[in-house]
Parts: sequence; C-alpha cells; structure tokens
Amino acid sequence: MTEPATSAVVHAPARKRTRSVDNPPGAFMAVYRLLVRTMATRGRLLSLGILGLLGVIVGLSLGVSHPFDPLDVGTHFVDGFGLSVLVPVTTLVFASASLGDATEDGTLVYLWLRPVRRSRLVLAAFAASLTICMPLIGIPLVLAAILVHGGPELVSGTAMAVAVSVVAYCALFTAWGIRVRRALPWGLAYILLWEGFVARAGKSAGRLALLSYSQSILSEYTGVGLRLALSPLVVGIIVPLMVAILALAYATHRLEVQDVA
Amino acid sequence: MTTVPALGKITAPPDTMIVVDDVSKWFGDVVAVSEVSFTVGPGVTALLGPNGAGKSTILRMLCGLTAPARGEVRVLGCDPRADLGVLRSIGLVPQQETVFDGQTALEFVRLAAILHGLPDPHSSARWALGVVEMPADDPRKLTSYSKGMRQRVKVAQAIVHDPSVIVLDEPLTGLDPRQRLHMVDLFHRLGESGRCVVVSSHVLDEVERFGSRVLVIAQGRLAAVGDFRKIRDLMDDRPHRIRVRSNRAREVAGALLAGGAAIGVRLEDHDSVVIDTDEVQMFRHAIATAARQADARLLEVVPLDDDLDSVFRYLVGQQ
Repeated sequence: MTEPATSAVVHAPARKRTRSVDNPPGAFMAVYRLLVRTMATRGRLLSLGILGLLGVIVGLSLGVSHPFDPLDVGTHFVDGFGLSVLVPVTTLVFASASLGDATEDGTLVYLWLRPVRRSRLVLAAFAASLTICMPLIGIPLVLAAILVHGGPELVSGTAMAVAVSVVAYCALFTAWGIRVRRALPWGLAYILLWEGFVARAGKSAGRLALLSYSQSILSEYTGVGLRLALSPLVVGIIVPLMVAILALAYATHRLEVQDVA
Repeated sequence: MTTVPALGKITAPPDTMIVVDDVSKWFGDVVAVSEVSFTVGPGVTALLGPNGAGKSTILRMLCGLTAPARGEVRVLGCDPRADLGVLRSIGLVPQQETVFDGQTALEFVRLAAILHGLPDPHSSARWALGVVEMPADDPRKLTSYSKGMRQRVKVAQAIVHDPSVIVLDEPLTGLDPRQRLHMVDLFHRLGESGRCVVVSSHVLDEVERFGSRVLVIAQGRLAAVGDFRKIRDLMDDRPHRIRVRSNRAREVAGALLAGGAAIGVRLEDHDSVVIDTDEVQMFRHAIATAARQADARLLEVVPLDDDLDSVFRYLVGQQ
C-alpha cells in the first residue's frame, strides 16, 4: 500500500503529530461528550422526565392505597408501565437520536471523516445513550418499586430488569437510528405492534421480543407470573446482552458501508 | 491588525495526488456520474458544473463518503472508502450548513483536532481559526453565526490537521465579496504550499478567480479539462447568439456580415437584431468597428445563450 504523502509535510513546530493508528487519544470521550450534549435536549429530557415522574406518582398512590398483595400489584405496575412503556420509549428517543440525528442533519460527516474506528463512534453513541437513559428510567422505576412497598424482591427485580433491558434497547435503537430514516415513528411502531401486540400472540413470537426477557427477570425475582416471562433468569439476562452485542456490531458495519450525506 | 498564521509547506509533493479512473455512480435509476476519469496534482483545481451535474457526488467519492458503483478512486494511492489512515490527509468542507448544536467555533474545530489525534488540539484549533481569520475566543454558538462566518469555521475544521488534500464543496456560496476575496486568497495559499485543493463551483466567474486548472462536469460526465483560459476559449469557440440594439441596427448587422464576424442575422425590431456568430472573439473586436462604419450608436449588446447550462450542454455535445 502506498504511504500517504503526509510524511512530506513540514508542519509548524507546535503542530507535529504522533498518532496511533485509528485510535486517537481522547476521541472516544470527545464523541461521547458531544453526543450526550446534542442528544439531551431540554424537550426530550422534560417530556420523558415527566413520564418517569408519573410512574413515581402512580407508585406512591399504589403504596398508600395498601393493596392486598403489594408485590403482585407492584410487579404488574413495573411491567405494564416501566418495562412495556418507559424503558422502550425513552431508549428509543435517545438512542435512535445518538447517531441518527447526525445522520439525518448531515453532521455525521464531521465524525465519519476522521481516522477513528467506526466501532468507537458506535460505542461512544451507545455509552452516551446509556448515560442519559439509565438514570432517567432507573431512578423513577426503582423509586416507584420502593413506594409500592412490594419488598426487596420487587426493588432488586426492577433494578435488574431495567438495567439489562436498557442496555439491550439502547444498543438496538442506536443501530436502528443509523439504519432507519425517521427512526422514531418506526421505532414506536415496533414497540406498539411487535412488542405490544404480536409478541403476545404466542410463545415463539414472544421469545423474539426483548420485553419477554425483562419480564422473565422481574418474574424470577418476584415470583409473580407475567405473560411473556418465558425464560429462566440466566437466559433472561444473557439473551438481551447478546442482542446488544449483535446490534452494536451491526451498527458498526452499517457505519462502515453506508453512504454519508 | 492581526497576523494570519503561516501554512506549512509540502516539500516535493507527488505529481498526482488524486486518481479518478473510469468512475460511475448511480442512485437507483439516476446516473449521477458516468465514466469519469481524471487526475489531480498539487495546486488549486476547480470542479465546475451546473447544479445537479454530479460535482458533489464526485467530491463525496474523493473523501470516501460514498463508494463508486464502478471504477476506482485513489487519494494519495489509497482507497478513501476503505483506508481509514488516508483520512488523516484529507480535509473536507461539506456543502451542508448544519453544524453541531451548542458548540462554539473553537469547540467545533478542537473536536476535529482531537479526532485527528493532534497532540495539542487546543493550539491547533486556535491556529486553524487564525488562518481563516476567525476569533478563537468568540463565546457565541456556531448556530448564531452568519453563513459566511460558519463557512470559514468549516474551512478551519478542514485544515486543522494540516491535510495534503483539501476538498471544498461550493465554499463561496453565501459569502460577501470581501469574504470571497479572502477565501480565494486562502485557496491560493493552500495550493501554493503544495497541497492539492479541489474546489467545486457552479459559477463561472468564481472559477476564473481561482485562476486554476478546471474540470468541467456536466450531466455526470467530464465535459472538458484544462487551464481556465483553455476552457474559456473552448466556450468562446461555440456558436453564439447575441442581441445587438442600435439606432442603426440593420446597418451594423450588414457590416458584421460583410466583415465575416456574423454568420446569420435576424431582424427583431427596428432597433434590434439577433446575430449568430461562431467567432465570438472576432465579433467582440468587430462590433465597435462595425458601429463606427455605420455611424451607429450601440445601445445594448447581450449574449442570449451565455448561461452556464447552455455552455455545459454544448461542451457535453462536443464529447
């Protein structure tokens, strides 16, 4: 391979470069910080923060109403509101925007046209999504689980199910944002139609929904049966993490081969 | 008065820095670029063509942003699509105006410096902003900048890593005359320092000011290549249609016909004739003499087919 002619360049003294191949120091953190800043718009934080707050209020009202079986009520609430709505919608909004916004508005070129491995860009986007989504989802849901008075099983089950599913959804929707134009409406359609409707039609379809695995984790911790809880705890944790790895690998591949506007 | 930082020189740059070999690109049924071949060396090269001619697609292929459907693009001997390393030697000023929300000019250029692995990104960013005569300490966000200021910052991010190949897609669009002058001067300085500077434009006069080698692209094909004057001559050699308004239009037209500067004449009005000529240089010289001979006052001499599209159509027809 012919060596680029940069070796022939005489640079100003302060600007001489010594660089490692495809791994500029600080590149990951620079992209990460940039994406956190561009993703976390006031409108997004406010609307999804309010949704999370709504969960806390409902959790509180369930707790003060002294239900007959707080564990059962709390498990169904965390599943129906948290795992089925708050987790997928919040991760979709942020993770699909992480590189999706840059793809759509044309600013991706300022990241793509640098000697930085595409996997680093994808990992930075994924990490930025996690940084925003984990507290935005985890804090209100765990708080709601505490306020329902369902006991430590509900709290730890909620924390584990949220952690695993946020990781999986963030990776999936990061790839989604790179692959699909107008990722938000298409992602909502996936959440509503596939996870909310088709997956509930049968066991085979259910296993193809991430919701099934987060429900399995929650159900294993609390002992409360949930409709899509089809897997043991280990499978419920491993499968979403595998999905996350595959989604990030696919996102990297897409970023390598797709046209950049 | 502030001092503009100096650009480093490339010692003994290779004669050929960019090779485009039989490249075609299509999007669905639309052929954007068809069988284009050229090479580019150090200095300023202008890519001239009307809107939609395929200039941006070619520039995007030079930077690896899109792959050719057929043919080969090599920048400094490497495939810019596949070889991440060559991106260190390429700087691009894209056509789109969007920049990252919430960043200042310094943050924007420093990000580029960090991603290129420069040891002192902050100083490099300040240097690059200095080269384009932008204040590095301006606290305003980029999104509040005028188009011209943003354009200069985009140039700064493209040169911050001192690339040997610089690609600029319509960089003068939206700039005021003073800013244009400054930019053209910067392109000259970059070219004279041994860098390969490729600038696209759809404005003929703009390209004239680059005073450079020109690649004319029309309908996705390479219509002409060469020095600007050669292209200008080629354009002048085509048949021209010119309207002449005069108080003695008929007599002026007669004199032009008799002198061989016109090959056809059509009377439009009592004071207006349309002249066909295939010797526009001769016509330019002959029109004044013809008016003097006819004792006529020239009121208007207007080329009727001097728009770029017709020029490009003619050049493509010649291929």
